[in-house]
Amino acid sequence: MAFLDTVSRAGDAVPNGRLLRLVLLPVGFALAAIAVWQILCQALHIPPVLLPPPSAVWTVLRDNYAILFGEPLPTLNESIASFTVASVLGVGLAVSLTFSAWVREALYPNIVMFQLIPKIALAPLFIVWLGVGETTTIVVAVFIAFFPIVVSSATGLVSAKPEVLRLCQSLTASEWQAFRMVRFPYAVPYIFAGMKVGVTMAMIGVVVGEFITAQRGLGYIIMFAAGASETATVLAAILLLCVIGLGLYGIVGLAEWLVLRLYGGEMPISGVI
Amino acid sequence: MAARAGNVSVEIPAAAPPGSVPAIGPSLRWARPIILPIATAAATLLLWQFAAVRLRIPAVILPTPIEIAHELWRALPVLIEQAGPTALDTLMAFAAASALGVGLAVVIAYSPLLRDTLYPNLVFFQLVPKVALAPLFVIWLGFGSPSRVAFATFISFFPVVIAAAVGFAGTDPAALQLCRSLTASEWRCFLLVRFPFALPAIFSGFKVAMTMAVIGVIIGEFISSQAGLGHYILNAGSRLDTADVFAALGVLCALGVGLYGAVALAEFGIRRVYGRH
Amino acid sequence: MSIAKVGRCIEASGVSKVYGAGTAAAVEAVSSVSFTVPHGQFVAILGPSGCGKSTLLMMVGGLEPVSSGNIIVNGEPMTGPRTSIGIMFQDPTLLPWKSALDNVLFPVRVLKRSIDDYREAARDLLHQVGLHGFEHKRPHELSGGMRQRVAICRTLVYDPEVLLMDEPFSALDAISRDEMNELLLDLWQQFTKTALFVTHSIREAVLLADRVLVMTKRPATIVENLAVPFARPRSMALGESREFNEICRHLRECIEESHSRSRALRARTTAWRREPAT
Repeated sequence: MAFLDTVSRAGDAVPNGRLLRLVLLPVGFALAAIAVWQILCQALHIPPVLLPPPSAVWTVLRDNYAILFGEPLPTLNESIASFTVASVLGVGLAVSLTFSAWVREALYPNIVMFQLIPKIALAPLFIVWLGVGETTTIVVAVFIAFFPIVVSSATGLVSAKPEVLRLCQSLTASEWQAFRMVRFPYAVPYIFAGMKVGVTMAMIGVVVGEFITAQRGLGYIIMFAAGASETATVLAAILLLCVIGLGLYGIVGLAEWLVLRLYGGEMPISGVI
Repeated sequence: MAARAGNVSVEIPAAAPPGSVPAIGPSLRWARPIILPIATAAATLLLWQFAAVRLRIPAVILPTPIEIAHELWRALPVLIEQAGPTALDTLMAFAAASALGVGLAVVIAYSPLLRDTLYPNLVFFQLVPKVALAPLFVIWLGFGSPSRVAFATFISFFPVVIAAAVGFAGTDPAALQLCRSLTASEWRCFLLVRFPFALPAIFSGFKVAMTMAVIGVIIGEFISSQAGLGHYILNAGSRLDTADVFAALGVLCALGVGLYGAVALAEFGIRRVYGRH
Repeated sequence: MSIAKVGRCIEASGVSKVYGAGTAAAVEAVSSVSFTVPHGQFVAILGPSGCGKSTLLMMVGGLEPVSSGNIIVNGEPMTGPRTSIGIMFQDPTLLPWKSALDNVLFPVRVLKRSIDDYREAARDLLHQVGLHGFEHKRPHELSGGMRQRVAICRTLVYDPEVLLMDEPFSALDAISRDEMNELLLDLWQQFTKTALFVTHSIREAVLLADRVLVMTKRPATIVENLAVPFARPRSMALGESREFNEICRHLRECIEESHSRSRALRARTTAWRREPAT
């Protein structure tokens, strides 16, 4: 333990060394894991139906890239669409909850209760209502992504400490002014936190929607290939899904970084300075 | 001059924020946060019942709450029977995820090397749509319970390990220094300081994990339909028996809330044992 | 610089504040308080924590309604907050994402006045309080004392006639507090304003104020109205003079006496409760 401590401290001593360590170690580990995977598959002659080696996955990607890069499009579109709708609705509802205490007290506990429900289980219900197709997938995804966004945004919008609001009151600020100049900026970190969860949830909704409605998209490919025991294709599709998921999350993260820079630096999650 | 109002402290509450709710009477004020949401929910149910009957909405689209209640009563034995496998799978997945998650978090807490190596990968995995791997588990473990439990464990493992790792890392350094200065061994320091301090974070991870475990089992049942509530719901949906879907959803919600509540209750109990932070 | 007014600026008569009126748990935070403050006077409200002085200040500022009695400021009864009144709280409450200068200009934006008109004034104020060069720093880059100084500038930038200050320096360490007291004395020389300053520090009250109102709790009333005889401009050296310490001693005794009175009162009442009436 002590030895490892000195190793880490030695890394700390050189700032560049620390950065390198923070990047090299995890990436190196991941690459090593892939290498081990490849070697084990070949050495132990694992049936490709069970676990194809990375090289097989690469082959699938290379040979079928026309199809495989076309299929992500519906998934991508559905994810973006559902996330956008969920964000607009979610933030919108959170904002209206701020302005009316009656509405807030009536609705918010119900919304929080809804968080406890495994909302994905309602997907078949949406299929009954909307049939099989892209719309259903989007609606399911919106439904799942909406709640974390509302809860997080609403929490953020009431997070401004009473002292700041009392200051606004003493300056005879209107409610709208207090909202625009104080409440909303304080809520921005929370809104983004909710949106990050929301984008993940939206993708889950889209993928599961595609699993069970099985029409187009990467989820469909996964189910189809799994049924045909084409495990390498399954892995290839999963890889593409991960790329999309990370990409979307990264966009939200980037937007958050930009907004924080706009507001100029420190935006503490907690209260007032 | 009689003494005023006993020993109530004269703490000055913050000035009423803009848009505060007018009092509905001092004696009922405490109950408003409870009455209002319940009343809203009840009003929604009544509106639903009324609208579904009045507008003659077909039962296939939207059965009335009464029809759902009726169906629930009728199908209750079957539903409870189906809830069994779902609950069991969830509990197994949760237990495995919790044990593995906390275990790995302990290792990460004590080895900076492993932490720098593994933690970024764990966070990366958390961001990736892990549900996509559900069919993979079916390929590996077949159509039965093991694939569902394994998948549910997989997706509920990450919140636990991340939350626990954050919890262990967030121990007050002053408390740790105090412990070490009393020449306590690392293990005792862990047991007496790190672990109790990390409990709130660990339990928040547990709560997310329980929710994820239920979701994982349901998704597993969707794609490897064999038994359980998820399969029942999918089946009822394909038969367009909407009332049955709602009834099963009701039971599933009760199950989900119950399991979540169990974790919350456990947290409450442990908090009382270890004292409040 | 406004022309010095004469006459009463603040008049409070029979002001009370009761929380939870009409229920069994009713609490009288302020009990029948009356005082007047002429224009240009600096009045300190001195008392221990929890005696209702902050509540009284909030009522004078229009942020809390009175339960009974009335408060008249500048000839108009108080019904709500006014822009001619500036309030400073214990917490500087600076907006973390704005620079010091932007924080000072915050009231200007709320009041929808032209920022350009006030920018120079804001800079001057920051310069006066010793924060020249810190205009573009964010609150997290400033110490507690510096943040309170920004808060002072923010309160002064839109030139309110009346200043209400609710223990603004209580959260600072002793050295910063002394610096702030000195700063406030200097500022007071320049501005013709009326001020109500709530504090629980006897020395601070005597140093800063023209008059000290002593408030105690249970019942929460004013028990002493003392004129402070020191001429302005004052300096921190005043705190070492004999007369200063005499006044402080007098105020301390005043507070302690009312405490023991209320303790005796409570003891008598408790005893009465234990032995049923014969």
